[in-house]
Amino acid sequence: MIPENPEELHVLAGEYVLGVLDAAEAGEVTAALATNPELRSAVAFWEENLEPLSTLAAPAEPPPGTWQAIEARIKEAAPKPAVYGFWNNVSIWRWATVGFAAAAAVLALWIAVTPPSGPSFVAVLRPPQQDQPAWVATAGRDGLLIRSLSAAKPPTDRAFELWAIAPGSAQPRSLGVIPASGEMRLSPLPSDLRNGATLAISIEPTGGSPTQQPTGPIVYVGSVGTV
Amino acid sequence: MDRIAALSSVGVLIEAVGRGSPAALKRLYELESRRLYGIALRIVRRPEVAADVLQDAFVQVWQNAAVFSDERGAGAAWLTGIVRFRALDAVRKLGREIPSDDPALGDEPIEPDVIERIGASTQAEALRRCLQLLDEGQQRCIVLAFVDGLSHSEITERIKAPLGSVKSWIRRGLLALRECLEQ
Repeated sequence: MIPENPEELHVLAGEYVLGVLDAAEAGEVTAALATNPELRSAVAFWEENLEPLSTLAAPAEPPPGTWQAIEARIKEAAPKPAVYGFWNNVSIWRWATVGFAAAAAVLALWIAVTPPSGPSFVAVLRPPQQDQPAWVATAGRDGLLIRSLSAAKPPTDRAFELWAIAPGSAQPRSLGVIPASGEMRLSPLPSDLRNGATLAISIEPTGGSPTQQPTGPIVYVGSVGTV
Repeated sequence: MDRIAALSSVGVLIEAVGRGSPAALKRLYELESRRLYGIALRIVRRPEVAADVLQDAFVQVWQNAAVFSDERGAGAAWLTGIVRFRALDAVRKLGREIPSDDPALGDEPIEPDVIERIGASTQAEALRRCLQLLDEGQQRCIVLAFVDGLSHSEITERIKAPLGSVKSWIRRGLLALRECLEQ
């Protein structure tokens, strides 16, 4: 639970930035950052004000080859275009790209479930603070297929709603409420879905967000990449 | 070399990275990698893991720099945040040994004067002044959490104090710090 009391909120934000929360608590804070501006500003306050403490760690020379490894990796990964407002949330983005290693396993699954002439994009969605792939989305000329890998269910009287933000777009766009089966197909392919787009799933009232924008916490997020 | 990369302000460089300049990323690495690697190593305590953290962090900077805005000149803090986040994540996944004041591993006994060694910027000056108002237990816990990335229970083990005390020192320390920093 994210407290409403400003004092408690500030303590929680401070503990989050210090890093003393366990993975589950920290994940809850990360997810809430997307929809809670007070929490976001409290976290920014601590990140900025505690940062001088990092000078207590002595600088050290990274092992040789580190830059070369980075250089090789950025040739494959395009920078994401800027997005603003609701999505301008560093912590969510931090986690959007976590665990590319696990993508290999998902890719194998994707190959197993899709026809060879089909999709050309894939996205792996994870909870913001975890590495465990929870949803896989594949997309191509014929449309989009998203499927739960974890059998996760939304809370009672709530639903999972899928959102896309096109590269360069300022606004998430709803792709619809995901049926209880944990699988959804959309055809034709939504135009927002191309290389560099982001897919996210939020918790919304049954029937979807009343505002055309996410109103609940972002519980899964992932980047769309070309296969 | 591209002209953007000749600039040295960290925030300006991150913005250039956000526009897709690999030269700006390289310059950022030259300027910041020793500092950031030091931060990661102190938390994860294994050079190979720290190198992976640094690598992932720079790839992430490359991918996400476009969402950074240099409003408050907070580029260095943004980078520190990314590296600490990744290092803490690595520690939560891989585990590690609890630091034990071993100088060979870069550990230092937490002395009261450690606060004196916080860098020299205006912001550091404010933090130092405010930390000095805290009692010793509060100071030690906050430094161990931020710099060494220790969790509540790891701090408990490290300083041999009950969990309840550690939690309450951190809580009260944060409240006092905030009051002082906001003045």
